[in-house]
Amino acid sequence: MTNNKLSDLQKKAKEIRRTVLSMIVGAKASHIASSYSVVDLLVYLYDYVLRIDPKNPQDPDRDRFILSKGWGVSALYAILAKKGFFEQRLLEAYCRDGSKMIGISTRNGIPGIEATTGSMGHGLPIGVGMALAAKLKKQKNRIFVIISDGECDEGSTWEAILQAGHHKLENLVVIIDYNKWQSFGRIKDILDLEPFSRKWQAFKWAALEIDGHNFKKIDRAFSKIPLVKNKPTVIIAHTIKGKGVSVLQDRNEWHYRTPTEKEIKIAKEELSL
Amino acid sequence: MRTAFLETLVGLMRSHEDIITLTADMGFSVFEHIQKEFPTRFINTGVTEQSTVGIATGLALSGFKVYFYAQAPFATMRCFEQIRLDVAYNHVNVKIIGVAAGFSSNQLGISHFALEDVGLMRLLPNMTIFTPGDPIEAEWATKRAYIVDGPVYIRLTKSDSPVVHVNKPTFRVSRGIKISKGNDISLFVSGSLLPMAQEIVSSLQRKNIHAALISMPTIKPIDREIILKEAKKTGKVITLEEHSIIGGLGSIVAEIIAEEGKTVKFHRFGVPDKFTSVTGSPEYLLQYNGLSVARITKSILNLLKN
Repeated sequence: MTNNKLSDLQKKAKEIRRTVLSMIVGAKASHIASSYSVVDLLVYLYDYVLRIDPKNPQDPDRDRFILSKGWGVSALYAILAKKGFFEQRLLEAYCRDGSKMIGISTRNGIPGIEATTGSMGHGLPIGVGMALAAKLKKQKNRIFVIISDGECDEGSTWEAILQAGHHKLENLVVIIDYNKWQSFGRIKDILDLEPFSRKWQAFKWAALEIDGHNFKKIDRAFSKIPLVKNKPTVIIAHTIKGKGVSVLQDRNEWHYRTPTEKEIKIAKEELSL
Repeated sequence: MRTAFLETLVGLMRSHEDIITLTADMGFSVFEHIQKEFPTRFINTGVTEQSTVGIATGLALSGFKVYFYAQAPFATMRCFEQIRLDVAYNHVNVKIIGVAAGFSSNQLGISHFALEDVGLMRLLPNMTIFTPGDPIEAEWATKRAYIVDGPVYIRLTKSDSPVVHVNKPTFRVSRGIKISKGNDISLFVSGSLLPMAQEIVSSLQRKNIHAALISMPTIKPIDREIILKEAKKTGKVITLEEHSIIGGLGSIVAEIIAEEGKTVKFHRFGVPDKFTSVTGSPEYLLQYNGLSVARITKSILNLLKN
């Protein structure tokens, strides 16, 4: 990856985090840290991986992207707006009365939102259905699903993992936002997922672990997909919940709280270019 | 009923390439020929009802019409939240086929009974519900489900149910079918107890009571008009179903009549609000729950007296 490309991505990620901050603060909303956790991955996906035309978001041959961890949707909205799927000013309606910009990814006519998620363990089964459909129709498009680590507690997630491996869905790519937190505490204390990568491999997936904030590592990972022929790909992205702002990082309260004036000031300073 | 469904489904799959059939590992000795004829459009997803509903949704969002086949308790209850959020909310073409509803799996007990399925499906916006009462109604429901734009639940019961409609009636979604005329009392039935309802009508006839019999193969959207017309005409309304008395046909008819402010004599015959923890033949289990021709006839005669 060239230095130009790297600094451009880093700049964009900061910009998206600033937009998310103003959306969250404006609506006194929650889940800022869940969004920050996936910003870098989303910025990269929409710039370099996903073949989705903002001018033709219903093109049957488009790649499909599902944010199964739908509570991180503020980051997705910010990126979709930046990419031109809809007008930037719509972001101001985030979580406001009567707005379609709901705080969980909801399929309600907003361009670029493919599935209603947020109830955990829904996104991956839908993605498996889309991958099967693409195979049946002999389409070249690919299906990308970002799931959370907490979602890997759900039985329906593992049913879908079993299914995708069995059907050799190499057009399916799962990215796990492995920030090590679930709603009530640390993953390893509540319901440990390790050995995580080996579990997926045992279910006939090709797995790769990366630093989900390191654009060089992200770039290298996505240049290789599908990792193995005839296997679905999982990229286990080690991330930090709240990544990008010191006071928000790796603290579970940011699944729920809205930043105070003081914290907003710190965030703005750290996110300035 | 199941045979009628399967034969109709094969015909539909032959003429419509956009149909995919998913089964959650159900259909031993009945689905093999479909699997053979449509190796790519028939998928056994294994015992995975929850994710299968999600997969069905993904296929439907990609343009397919999906028939999802499983035993009624598992097709509707195990994956209710997936049906709500994935299928009903998205208004997608997923047709849920619940087989062996009611007490059909008579020997297997509570795990395999489905007496709450209609009530649950009815709660969901966008859902169309068919409860066929004989093979002719099952064939219609299967075909109609393909045409309905959006989610459908078809409730199938025993595989060997007799043909009631000797002359094929004109079916329409949301239309009750009048099977016999009568001015004394109106009997509404949905699903598997249609043959029992016919016997009840004959047994009332012998007591010189003339009952109108109306089959309700569509539970949602319901035929409001025929319910109100009968309520006005006879002033005595009875419902019959192999389902909990809560949430099914009886509840629907009661809601409509009450909202319209009609004063009628009214009684719901269905499975009482308690679990059945015994086994036996389907007839035994129905009788155990107060559902037999003799007992219902007697109750109706009492109702008419008071």
